[in-house]
Amino acid sequence: MGFVKAQKSKAYFKRFQVPFKRRREGKTDYRARIRLINQDKNKYNTPKYRFVVRFSNKDITAQIVSANISGDMILASAYSHELPRYGLEVGLTNYAAAYCTGLLLGRRVLKMLEMDDEYQGNVEATGEDYSVEPTDTRRPFRALLDVGLIRTTTGNNVFGALKGALDAGLDIPHSDKRFAGFSKDNKQLDAEVHRKYIYGGHVAAYMRILMEDEPEKYQSHFSEYIKRGIEADNIETLYKKVHAAIRANPTAKKSEKEPPKQHKRFNLKKLTYEERKAKLIERLHALNAAAGADSEEED
Amino acid sequence: MPAGHGVRSRTRDSFSRPFRKKGYIPLSTYLRTYKIGDYVDVKVNGAVHKGMPHKFYHGRTGRVWNVTKRAIGVEVNKQVGNRIIRKRIHVRVEHVQPSRCTEEFKLRKVKNDQLKAEAKKKGEVISTKRQPEGPKSGFMVEGATLETVTPIPYDVVNDLKGGY
Repeated sequence: MGFVKAQKSKAYFKRFQVPFKRRREGKTDYRARIRLINQDKNKYNTPKYRFVVRFSNKDITAQIVSANISGDMILASAYSHELPRYGLEVGLTNYAAAYCTGLLLGRRVLKMLEMDDEYQGNVEATGEDYSVEPTDTRRPFRALLDVGLIRTTTGNNVFGALKGALDAGLDIPHSDKRFAGFSKDNKQLDAEVHRKYIYGGHVAAYMRILMEDEPEKYQSHFSEYIKRGIEADNIETLYKKVHAAIRANPTAKKSEKEPPKQHKRFNLKKLTYEERKAKLIERLHALNAAAGADSEEED
Repeated sequence: MPAGHGVRSRTRDSFSRPFRKKGYIPLSTYLRTYKIGDYVDVKVNGAVHKGMPHKFYHGRTGRVWNVTKRAIGVEVNKQVGNRIIRKRIHVRVEHVQPSRCTEEFKLRKVKNDQLKAEAKKKGEVISTKRQPEGPKSGFMVEGATLETVTPIPYDVVNDLKGGY
């Protein structure tokens, strides 16, 4: 009795409504997506751009996306695995790298739309809350931050990317409540602390602590930094150089990839509708020819 | 208790979502654009409570006469007494689908323009009018063998075999 009750009956499956595919995969929050994509009907086909930031274990993806019935269109994208091109090879998912990626994407988009001379953004990153001022000629590029499924806590790296894009000159509606360095007690953003995070100051502080207390752990944890000669004191200058390099040349490099190898097929290729019909016609012809020959033999 | 006549009375089935289609509505409804003069079908989506039309308009087709931020103005014909009034309602986009009533007409227009252009090049005169289906044409019947059926005289013995 107890066992039979635990099973999912046929009736259960017949009535089960499957969620959307991306919800099954746990990748899209449709409640947020509806509200981000919905464009005023009296703006007709004007695209509404989202500034999408996603983190994987070793990479940061930042994209400017506009929605379309046949699929979202990407206007521009920047990855933190492009940062070695600008001189940053380690720590590619921390707050500072997120800032660099956001900055890279922002400058790339502005250059693509030929607005990069008009909107320089905040060249010297100070950590203060900076919003773009519209110039006389063109209005700034507007996008809406799309965080995806992450929990928006104060100091999350997503907001590092947001700060990068803001300083690049994009117009993204935001508040400074979730930037690293915002204290809930004062209800104010401490620009000094935020600046520290943008320039990897928190990483440098941890490096100093480890060097003092546990030098072995320092060797193992920051081995890649040590290999490249990056120490707690020159982290800030490193990031300054990266910012300057990004502002100098943000265009994406087309990667040269040879066409993928043709692999040997181990199973039959699925035929198209036309191919199947053609095959059937051939078989009928063959049958008729054979039948004709047989009936002639009989006669 | 007497039956009520509220705005949503008698809509239990028509406004309910279809089987296994409840919950979030697919995003293409929000991404479609409507221009003034388009034909649209009004079909209520019970999952969205704002901007619902009255149950009379469920299943009607009308023209767009206004486009606002989240809704569309649709002009629908309604018979009131002895005349038909063109009623103008505002409906949120979730309750509206683009209508295919003019699709066949638009395709035919394009095809006819093409045919007329070709005929003009060749110098022929063609009529692109649609013709109703006429009577079927005549045909010869093939493989028919003639079988003449005549009545046979009644045979008492054969019919009663074994029965008497």
